[in-house]
Amino acid sequence: MRGLRAALVAGVLGAATMSSGQEAKPAADPSTVVGPPRAGALTGDALEKRTHEVAALLRCPVCQGLSVADSPSTMATNMRGQVRDLVAAGYDQEQILAYFERSYGEFVRLQPPLRGVNWLVWLAPIVGLLGGGAVVWWALRRPHAGDAVTTEPLGEVPGRDTLPEDSGLAPFVLRIRERAYGWPGGVSPGAKTAAEPVA
Amino acid sequence: MTSAGSTATAAPRGLLNRRVLAVGLLFVIPLLVVLLMNLGRDPHAVRSPLVGRAAPPFVLSPAGGGAPVSLESLRGRPIVLNFWATWCAPCIQEHPALNAAASARSDVTFLGVVYQDEEARIREFQKRYGSAYPSLLDPDGKTAIAYGIAGVPETFFIDTKGTIVAKVSYALGADEIQGHLEKAAR
Repeated sequence: MRGLRAALVAGVLGAATMSSGQEAKPAADPSTVVGPPRAGALTGDALEKRTHEVAALLRCPVCQGLSVADSPSTMATNMRGQVRDLVAAGYDQEQILAYFERSYGEFVRLQPPLRGVNWLVWLAPIVGLLGGGAVVWWALRRPHAGDAVTTEPLGEVPGRDTLPEDSGLAPFVLRIRERAYGWPGGVSPGAKTAAEPVA
Repeated sequence: MTSAGSTATAAPRGLLNRRVLAVGLLFVIPLLVVLLMNLGRDPHAVRSPLVGRAAPPFVLSPAGGGAPVSLESLRGRPIVLNFWATWCAPCIQEHPALNAAASARSDVTFLGVVYQDEEARIREFQKRYGSAYPSLLDPDGKTAIAYGIAGVPETFFIDTKGTIVAKVSYALGADEIQGHLEKAAR
């Protein structure tokens, strides 16, 4: 079994290296994916700054909501390395984002590009704000139901000497008024007619 | 005046409630539809844009030494490309199935690509569990990035023309390998 496996491995390697003389080198030439570089090649501080700016627009695929610029993961470190290589080779921001998008899909962009259903993401907040403003304006402008009610007369207001209809309760109310307000017999001093306590 | 005023304000009030209800439903119903339609969907499963496209080329050295392996030189044979690591439990789980399939299918090329791991550990793993196919080293992770790897294991099935026909992001079983190989060998 071991021998068979070894033979298979050797066979695969032999087949794969028939057109040999090749060095181990990184994957696809980016220009075959996104066309020739459109920006100028950068070096030094400018290169680092641009690398950080572009990496901040890429989502780290192994993290939860972190950009490639912010994540300490190996994956993000490798991706930053690749961004740096692409920036150094003169690829512009859109080309670099497109290069990663080809492998990872639109998911890898932290800012959804303005196309197709993505327009909703950008327009919905503006539409919502304008719509909400319109509703508030309309609600403040229309006449309120309460406005009509306040103009109506209040009707009979119970006086301070009014007694409950319950004849058993009335003497207690008078006694409380006498104690609380000091009115003799529980009748207010200004009362036109003395309340008649029910016997 | 008061009675006329109160009837005039009462009528639009009922109308407003129905209007508010209609506008509310206009927002709520589409949201409910979207929610219900996506209930069974795994939000982490992002469909690979690479399926149906040409497999990104690479030239990588195998763990344990040997001449670099180039994907282009393998054109004409179905390829199973398995990104894995020794620290990944599902990779260890699927290893026997991949090994058995590689031994059984001499018409198919099986290749491992090491994801964020050390060569010494890979060699130790291969010695311990055996391996019917080589595992290639991807030290700067560029091949993993080109294939949109977000974790391991991830396995690509590539047909004889070099087009990716399937991508699987979990531990494969023997039946599933056979199923995808039928597509790739067509």
